[in-house]
Amino acid sequence: MELAVPSRRHFLTAIGNLASAGWIAMNWPKIAAATEHSGHDAAAPPNAIKTLSESEAATVDAIANLIVPGGTTPGARDARVIYFIDNALGSFFAAQLPSFREGLGEFTSSYSSSHGTETSFASAAETQQIAFLKEVEKTPFFLAVRRLTVLGLLALPKYGGNHDNLGWKLIGVEDNHAWEPPFGFYDQDYAGFEPYPGTKPYTA
Amino acid sequence: MQRKTFKTSETVDFIVVGSGASGGIMARELARAGNSVVVMEQGPRLDAHEFEHDELKYRNLSGITNNPATNPQTFRNTEDQKAAKVSGRNPLTYARVVGGSSSHFNANFWRLHEIDFIERSRLGAIEGADLVDWPITYAELEPYYTKVEWEVGVSGLAGASPFDPWRSKPYPMPPLPVKSSGVLFERGAKKLGLHPFPAPMAINSVLYKDRPPCIQCGLCGGFACEVKAKSSSVWTVIPEAEATRRCEVRAESYVFRIGMNKAGRATGVYYYDRDRKEQFQNARAVVVCANGAETPRLLLNSATGSAPQGLANSSGAVGRYLMFNKGGGAMARFEHPLNEYKGANVTRIMHDFYDSDPKRGFYGGGGFDARSGGPLTWGQSVPKGTPNWGPEFKEYLESYTYWMNCSGHGTSLAVESNRVDIDPDLKDAWGLPAIRVTHKDHPDDTKHAKWQVERAAEIMDAAGAKQIVPGEIGEATGGVHLLGTCRMGNDPATSVIDKYHRTHDVRNLFLCDGSSMVTSGRGQPTQTIEALAFRAADHIAKFARTGDI
Repeated sequence: MELAVPSRRHFLTAIGNLASAGWIAMNWPKIAAATEHSGHDAAAPPNAIKTLSESEAATVDAIANLIVPGGTTPGARDARVIYFIDNALGSFFAAQLPSFREGLGEFTSSYSSSHGTETSFASAAETQQIAFLKEVEKTPFFLAVRRLTVLGLLALPKYGGNHDNLGWKLIGVEDNHAWEPPFGFYDQDYAGFEPYPGTKPYTA
Repeated sequence: MQRKTFKTSETVDFIVVGSGASGGIMARELARAGNSVVVMEQGPRLDAHEFEHDELKYRNLSGITNNPATNPQTFRNTEDQKAAKVSGRNPLTYARVVGGSSSHFNANFWRLHEIDFIERSRLGAIEGADLVDWPITYAELEPYYTKVEWEVGVSGLAGASPFDPWRSKPYPMPPLPVKSSGVLFERGAKKLGLHPFPAPMAINSVLYKDRPPCIQCGLCGGFACEVKAKSSSVWTVIPEAEATRRCEVRAESYVFRIGMNKAGRATGVYYYDRDRKEQFQNARAVVVCANGAETPRLLLNSATGSAPQGLANSSGAVGRYLMFNKGGGAMARFEHPLNEYKGANVTRIMHDFYDSDPKRGFYGGGGFDARSGGPLTWGQSVPKGTPNWGPEFKEYLESYTYWMNCSGHGTSLAVESNRVDIDPDLKDAWGLPAIRVTHKDHPDDTKHAKWQVERAAEIMDAAGAKQIVPGEIGEATGGVHLLGTCRMGNDPATSVIDKYHRTHDVRNLFLCDGSSMVTSGRGQPTQTIEALAFRAADHIAKFARTGDI
């Protein structure tokens, strides 16, 4: 009987029950293909601002998009990093929210004391934004946004950022669950391990 | 299969505290020898499909590790300082899940070499350290190293390294396929006249013991294997222990004190169940395999009127001689993509610099490997001189697939003042006294790690790297290899357990895990921990058979 390509859960359940060696051997490598993450990311990723205020989110989004700017390749805004940051500060990094807010408040007031209150940081010209970030790039708040931006860019899309895998695409990572050699440029023409004089490698 | 369960009122033959690298083996061996066994595990039991490729969860959110929010620890360098919590992380990290840290290890399985057991005799005393010989030799442990390779499952190429210790059998599986990092490491090291070889890994390269070969997903260290190709206790020895119908693995059971009677015998363990209700399980004997952090903590938290300094601690050595395996390496960027996010983490290693060489002017030895990290971990650190935001930072991010690490893994010296003890103030979420870590690197460990950085940079240069970023060596602030804290020895005045893993002070209390190790080895302790467990279990089962517990 020919088995259909097993589902990820079917496969894992079978393995869990210590499926027979024969079953596994027969279904390999269909099994590898079936282990892809079909069942893992069932819930839709966060796609709205729930924790930060609108103006807070606009400021953080502007900073994030200068940390990893867009252009010909995706940046933080394209990858919707702000949804990750908002989600993180409302859940698993909630303990950091008070100090984050405090830092954001200082960032905003420092910006308006030098640039006036008419135009916010988020709506200022990019050259002006960059010049200001250079002044504050050593502050804990900036470093926190930086860390969250990188996390949001590269964490699983289910957390809100890395939208459409754009973060992974940016760094050259393909979203597959299993791989086969050759993996990269240098192992594609590897000639095999050459034993050293005086050694006798042996196998079972 | 319906799993066997025991009532707490039943007196089982053995309680094994911890279900990791050593606990799983201990449980299987004792159960197969005819004993009833209850394994207590702090963490939950998860099936393969419940693990994910989620770097954020496992690397940043304590997904399966001891969480600093609920299991906090404090740290200080020296005993005259006040220990404090370290922001956002614990100094001592281990997996808190059935399978323990064998669930999330990288699976580098290196045997110790003969020299590891006798360094004190060969090298003499080292100032500021407590280097001693093991009470056992490589020859005594060799059959058990082989047992680990065949029973648990290790892939590799026997006899490939001219520096390998002797062995009685080859590996049961061929090595995993080489990655670009392995090819480059091999190329560079060979150019320098060194002898890199295929890495022995506790990962299936072929179908073995009804578990599939590695699917090369690329996420091993920090992650549990979703296809059971990694030889973690939870996929290997634990199901075999349960198949005896004499072993129960009790998950979410947090042991906090060993019960003692007036005759000085262990009577069982007190633990919190998943509802945080206090329970007591009766047993004829207790084997603690809770890792180099939690084993000493449990003994210290089990102090009694007649053992006010902690159980089995008449020597005062419980918690002392904490070792991490210090090391140093370099990151390197090449002309073409390596795609290190694909494939099992390590495929080539090298042991040319394994032995300590007095000519270097300091103690220390180690091995090197070619390895990689996941993208999220990689993206958080930026080499010196590269901007950490803006277009140039983005260019750096885009170069991810062109990088690899050449990592040195080395010795840490046993130092009496480096220790795990109990914080006088801090409690965990269960109200239990928390771990306090006191640790300062021995100067030779730092010198050796810096020396390793130079060697790693040379290897990457010889491999043709376009850019090399040497690692920075700072003072250790914690670790994942938790070693030496209940050291084995013949003298009850200076060690906690004898060569059979029995505590010198309590006849029916045994300890077996990283805490048993007398020296640190060269960076990959798990196969030794597992070999010790097989060996200890042989002896403990014999003691049980002959009424000697």
